[in-house]
Amino acid sequence: MSEHRRQILQMLSEGKISANEAERLISAFEEPAATKSPAESPTEKSRPKYLRVQVDSEGEAGQEGPTKVNVRVPMQLLRAGVRLAGLLPAQALYRANHAMQEKGIPIDLTQIKPENLEELVDQLNDLTVDVDQKEAGTKVRVRVFCE
Amino acid sequence: MIPFVAVVSLRNQESHTFRLWIPLFLVWLLLLPLGVLLSPFIFIACLVCRVNPLRGVAVMWQILNALTDTELEVEHRSAGMSFHIL
Repeated sequence: MSEHRRQILQMLSEGKISANEAERLISAFEEPAATKSPAESPTEKSRPKYLRVQVDSEGEAGQEGPTKVNVRVPMQLLRAGVRLAGLLPAQALYRANHAMQEKGIPIDLTQIKPENLEELVDQLNDLTVDVDQKEAGTKVRVRVFCE
Repeated sequence: MIPFVAVVSLRNQESHTFRLWIPLFLVWLLLLPLGVLLSPFIFIACLVCRVNPLRGVAVMWQILNALTDTELEVEHRSAGMSFHIL
């Protein structure tokens, strides 16, 4: 039992407030929690709208100089892209799978279906990829995250 | 809503910025009659590929809508270029 409810019931038992007032007070304390839960849950609020890719490359002095790339893709575009992938004929997907596996990317496009689209996009919410590479005098930093 | 304008910004090393507003709605207006003319061929192509033509059109429409707010920026030294779909 919450502290508020206990206090209200105590006030009722002591005769400080009536039963109606106690009921109103209890419902007033319960209301914010009840209205918050379905629509304003933290997952709904923090649902990202964009997938962002940032690349920072810092060259050494006298070389090419720093380069920055910043790409912002709406999540809706990813959703539509997955739906488009779901429309492609199976034969085309097998060929694309084969081509990607040859490049060392083991992704099975036939498993991407509109049914598990939302699950796929939701998994991207917590995605953050940070890559720092330092070789041949060049420092490259790649960040992929959702916002 | 489908994007109506794209903005291309170019900045050179002297920090001069050149901004070009591309009216995409004119492109859609031009493409609309072309799409109507090509619709029988698109329909046949969908049937050959065993794709529901209505679903195909719906997905293409969704992609077009989702393009809004796409942004790309590239900076090299003090020069840069950005592309923003509004």
